[in-house]
Amino acid sequence: MYKLHLIIKYLRKRRIAWWSLLAVTLCTTMVLVVISVMGGWLTMFEHSFQGLTGDIVVECKDDSLVGFPYYQEMIDKMLARPGIEAAVPTIHTFGIINIGNIATAGVQVMGLPIDQIGKVNRFPDSLYLQHTSYIDRAKEAKDPAEKQKLLEEAQQHAEHPTFQLPLSPQRYREAMNWSPGKGTDPARRPGMIVGSAVVGIHRDPTGQTVGREPLMYEVPVKLTTIAIRPGESTVDLKDKSESVYWIADDSHTGLWQYDNAFVYVPFDQLQNDLLMTASSYTDAVTGRQVEEPARTSDIHVRVKPGFDLQAAKEQVQQVVNGVMNEHLRTGGRFWLSPQVETWREKQRVWIDAISNEKLLTVILFSIISVVAIFLVFCIFYMIVMEKTKDIGIIKSVGATSTGVAGIFLGYGLAIGLVGSLLGLLCSYLIVHYINELHAELGKLFGIQIWNPEVYLFDKIPNTMSWRDIGIIVPIAVVSSVLGALLPAIRAARMHPVESLRWE
Amino acid sequence: MSQAVRQPELLAVEKDRPILRAQAIKRTFRMGQEVTVVLKHVDLTLRKGEFVAIEGRSGSGKSTLLHILGTLDEADSGTIEFNGQDLSRLTGGERSQIRNTQFGFVFQFYHLLPELNVTENTLLAPMIEYSWLGFRKRQHQLKERAKEILSELGLEHRLRHKVTVLSGGERQRVAIARALMNSPQILFADEPTGNLDAETGRQIMGVLEKLHREQGQTIVLVTHDRSLARQADRVLVLRDGKLEKPGESNNAESPATLNYR
Repeated sequence: MYKLHLIIKYLRKRRIAWWSLLAVTLCTTMVLVVISVMGGWLTMFEHSFQGLTGDIVVECKDDSLVGFPYYQEMIDKMLARPGIEAAVPTIHTFGIINIGNIATAGVQVMGLPIDQIGKVNRFPDSLYLQHTSYIDRAKEAKDPAEKQKLLEEAQQHAEHPTFQLPLSPQRYREAMNWSPGKGTDPARRPGMIVGSAVVGIHRDPTGQTVGREPLMYEVPVKLTTIAIRPGESTVDLKDKSESVYWIADDSHTGLWQYDNAFVYVPFDQLQNDLLMTASSYTDAVTGRQVEEPARTSDIHVRVKPGFDLQAAKEQVQQVVNGVMNEHLRTGGRFWLSPQVETWREKQRVWIDAISNEKLLTVILFSIISVVAIFLVFCIFYMIVMEKTKDIGIIKSVGATSTGVAGIFLGYGLAIGLVGSLLGLLCSYLIVHYINELHAELGKLFGIQIWNPEVYLFDKIPNTMSWRDIGIIVPIAVVSSVLGALLPAIRAARMHPVESLRWE
Repeated sequence: MSQAVRQPELLAVEKDRPILRAQAIKRTFRMGQEVTVVLKHVDLTLRKGEFVAIEGRSGSGKSTLLHILGTLDEADSGTIEFNGQDLSRLTGGERSQIRNTQFGFVFQFYHLLPELNVTENTLLAPMIEYSWLGFRKRQHQLKERAKEILSELGLEHRLRHKVTVLSGGERQRVAIARALMNSPQILFADEPTGNLDAETGRQIMGVLEKLHREQGQTIVLVTHDRSLARQADRVLVLRDGKLEKPGESNNAESPATLNYR
């Protein structure tokens, strides 16, 4: 009873120990914030990349701009396999866009069958007009029924995304001063989805989204691409293609390298522009008719929930190898066989780099936190010296040496518990409001610590993991007890008479 | 009160029973090469209900002897028996338990815990004796006893006050209350008036006398003040590391033998 009583008294009255409490609090806060941001960064990275690709990707790495053939046959055979839920082809190339003769930029172009892409990834959730705008309006809606309706519409659009143009045909005609007889009807041009940062949509230092101007939907976008023919080592400028689009929507994935560099166009349109559709020609040497199969750059595959990813990958690999070998055997042209990777393998370099950076940062901050142990040790040593007479008194009234040690170990434990819980609270507040704090820093000082171009995301990760808390908080408590250990042993060993005589 | 009524009968029955017997106690202190023999050969028999005063000059080893008798320190050689039990054979924990339940200490400089109030200081011994649960079960009863003791010592109006705001005399009375809380068999008082003015010192001695007279408390008092020592039933003088009766010449060869009145 006396131990608990004295621990509580000392905790309240010995203000010098509050410094060790502060040390434990600050170190817990520091390590938790770092782990949460770095860990959150890794999680966001994994989540975002997984959201933009299938669980498994089939891709011809060595000849990626040429692509590979027989993709529909592969898809049909994959879907017959037990572990495969969906498979969708996409085309990937590079191009130049000219936005209304105002801006020109080099971009990565992705051709995707937008009505199917949602089966393999979360790309439709990134669309502003067709999804996010409904979510934003639902957040602001005060009427629950209206909120519900908007959320349902957001869901519906995400399930059925399109390249449909957002404005009326008349608006497009007026934008181009078109009238019948003056060439192709501009209202019939296809839609393009642009990465939000490609057209200047971004978060300013205060955290507000800016740059989404209504005018961008009325400005034509000319996309220039160049086809790479299979088996050819040079590029023929005659294979250049220029297509004009209207902006149908913008995509904000949260992943800077996508939002800043990608534009998305209909799969068929891009396949046509890149001369990747099925065709036939007469061989100049043999005079025979040669059939060129349609090609694609990738196939994104969604694995059935609960099915082992590696097992699914093996199934996909068997299909791909089987189809390629079958066509080779039947006299088809030699094609480099595409590779099959899981999404994690595809992003291995990035994921490993971020994981290592997280580990290194955590180790460094943990080493700094060892300073807290020494601070607790120094302060407790001082307290034990100060309390020498009290130790003599307690022993004279019958406390054992173990009991006296228990007072100071318990005191260390109390410091650790209170400090780590305060640290948990502080870190929660910092992490939860980190983007707001960052915005305030931007407002007050004009500085932007979190640069999306460097860290890939425009928002700082702001969630904490229970697993991290479950590791760091006990470590903080144990560290505090460790810091108090030697002083407690010293207190236990004090001779009661010498302690009573201490000046 | 019941203890005071019982006491004359007890004294009659138990007067001859030794409660503490120390034999051939020797204690030296070493400071590097220097060796100081503080207690050369001390014998002491203490009977239940006695009030014994040990007198001696400053530095004669009175407090050292008191500390050894009270298990706060250990002799280099010799034996101490308490109620027939050899204290030198006990573990540190067992000696601590005896100090907690059988002995009480009153020191010259009070030695109260500054973070605790008067009642909490008084309750220190039972707080050490009982676990949290055990104390909670007996809390009411213990607090009532503490209040009773403090009231008998004139501190009923100071129960919740911090000890740092008390006068010297009041602090010493709190120390006495703390020492009495567990109804100790022996009360050891080391220069209890040494830090007090004459009047207050007399008051404190009055308290000790009253405890001895009315409740038969066994007391060992250590003092350099002869006039205080004379208030005890028996006075012994510690000289040259040995205990003697007052007036006895210093004989380094023979151990002191003691008669009680």
